[in-house]
Amino acid sequence: MIDEDKPPLFKRWTSWYYLVIGFLIFQILLFAMFTKYFA
Amino acid sequence: MSTPDWIVLVATLLSIIVYGIYRSQTSRDLDGYFLSNREMPWYLVLLSIMGTQASAITFLSAPGQAYTDGMRFVQYYFGLPLAMVVLCITFLPIFHKLKIYTAYEFLEKRFDLKTRTFTSFLFLVSRGLSTGISVYAPSIILSSLLGWNIYITNIIMGGLLIIYTVSGGAKAVAYTQQLQLGIVFTGMFLAGYTVVKLLPEGIGFSDALSISGKMGRLNVITTGQTAQGFDWTDRYNIFSGVIGGFFLALSYFGTDQSQVGRYLTAKSIRESRLGLLMNGLVKVPMQFFILLIGALVFVFYQFNPSPLFFNKIPIEEVRQTSFRDSLLDIENKHAVIVEKKKQAVAKLPFIVSTHAAAEEEKVLIEMRGLHKEEEQLRTQVKKIIKSSNVKGEANDTNYIFLRFVMDYLPAGLVGLLIAVIFLAAWGSIAAALNSLASATMVDFHRKFFIKNQSDEQEYKTSRLYTLGWGIFCIVVAELVTGMGSLIEAVNVLGSWFYGVILGIFLVAFYFKRVGGNAVFWAALAGEVLVIGMYLQTNLAWLWLNAIGAIAVILFAVLFQGVIFRKEGTKA
Repeated sequence: MIDEDKPPLFKRWTSWYYLVIGFLIFQILLFAMFTKYFA
Repeated sequence: MSTPDWIVLVATLLSIIVYGIYRSQTSRDLDGYFLSNREMPWYLVLLSIMGTQASAITFLSAPGQAYTDGMRFVQYYFGLPLAMVVLCITFLPIFHKLKIYTAYEFLEKRFDLKTRTFTSFLFLVSRGLSTGISVYAPSIILSSLLGWNIYITNIIMGGLLIIYTVSGGAKAVAYTQQLQLGIVFTGMFLAGYTVVKLLPEGIGFSDALSISGKMGRLNVITTGQTAQGFDWTDRYNIFSGVIGGFFLALSYFGTDQSQVGRYLTAKSIRESRLGLLMNGLVKVPMQFFILLIGALVFVFYQFNPSPLFFNKIPIEEVRQTSFRDSLLDIENKHAVIVEKKKQAVAKLPFIVSTHAAAEEEKVLIEMRGLHKEEEQLRTQVKKIIKSSNVKGEANDTNYIFLRFVMDYLPAGLVGLLIAVIFLAAWGSIAAALNSLASATMVDFHRKFFIKNQSDEQEYKTSRLYTLGWGIFCIVVAELVTGMGSLIEAVNVLGSWFYGVILGIFLVAFYFKRVGGNAVFWAALAGEVLVIGMYLQTNLAWLWLNAIGAIAVILFAVLFQGVIFRKEGTKA
């Protein structure tokens, strides 16, 4: 493997981690609203 | 199946085999055969990870789950994005730095040879058996619905992919998974689109969602709370999904060679990271849409007569037994319910189009009542199937989607969706065979059998191991034929081992003072505890992953402090 560890789009990988976790939280909230709306 | 279906099915399967052979050129050494010379871009890593995880059962079982139990199964995947982040922070940099072939090599560097060998052995046992069952599980469904011979179906399901997996190793696996996933998603999208098109005039997609939701199928988020408190036996809720799902995903992606072997093929740590993180972004929405198809199929069956039981074989078998009259009685009652449902829903398209909310609610209340009665009849049929000891399982969840496909989808699309089942199976089985061969070659052959082979000899031996594991999995599939669907068995079997293996790795990463002897005996004790808890309690299996991992950590710290205090961290 070549050690090219620079992330795309963001300066640090930490921003990618926040993005993944943030998107999960967003989905859970969206699903909760979805469940409530169609119940 | 019609002639166009056969043409589509055979052409799709052959094209994958030919493409796999075409992509088979690698350097004739272990780097080429098991790691594609570490030159894969992130999007191929992503598709390979997804193709390995998504088996045939994912596409057969998930829509059926949504039909019978609603969409809450999606919560099972909530821990996965979190696991991807932890993997990228902890596991990946170490695996990358050590330039390993298998995850278990790291355990020898950190602990000792016996811990590495023991963990690799647990992997070979659990992955070998579960891959055999993964060959059998979709085969039994296809053979029941299409009348195919189960033994021959097993051979096609687990055998044809061996051609390109043996010849091309990890590279052929990754490239075919890319094409397979493309076909699988196209097929599923067309199926979802056709379900909506088959709904009566006046009932659109949003109306179908409304009906599905009011009939309890859009329960995406559930909390597992009952009047008596939290239900620990409830399999899918947000807590078991986030916590249990996190431990399961961390163990599966971080310590199961079938997944580790996929992201080690990346050309840099950056590409591995991107592949894993993208998986964390797309997996939950992907599962949501597969489940949504099941929820829409449920709506379809509100407007069309639903079978009393979706697998015809056990029903026909029961007719030949003394339970025949009881079955006939239930079928007559079901016919009455189907007629009542037909009358109730006949007004629904008009009511929906005129936005008469009160009227709509009235009809839906009536439909809910009829559905409840129908479910009671289905439960009675399942009891009869169990009592009569006939061939075929008493659970038809995994037959629902394919039965719908066979009965209602147009010619050509049926063939494509049967091909989807084969391709999804091939994607995960091919990766499993590649990983079983790599663990056998690197963790056992090189260590204990022949240590100084040339690159060419190692390459040829690895191909033989891949072939050997392929044959082993087909033999397992043939041997378990007649034991029911065993889909649950795959998950349970995984949960027996996944938590313990994860615990070993977590101790390796986070508990620097713990040595090889302590973790080895902690793993054995953890394994006994997990299997004991499974046998003695009704705890939902998802929790076993968390319990196994935590038990190994606690035992390891305890054993190191009390029994192996004088030993170093490397035994």
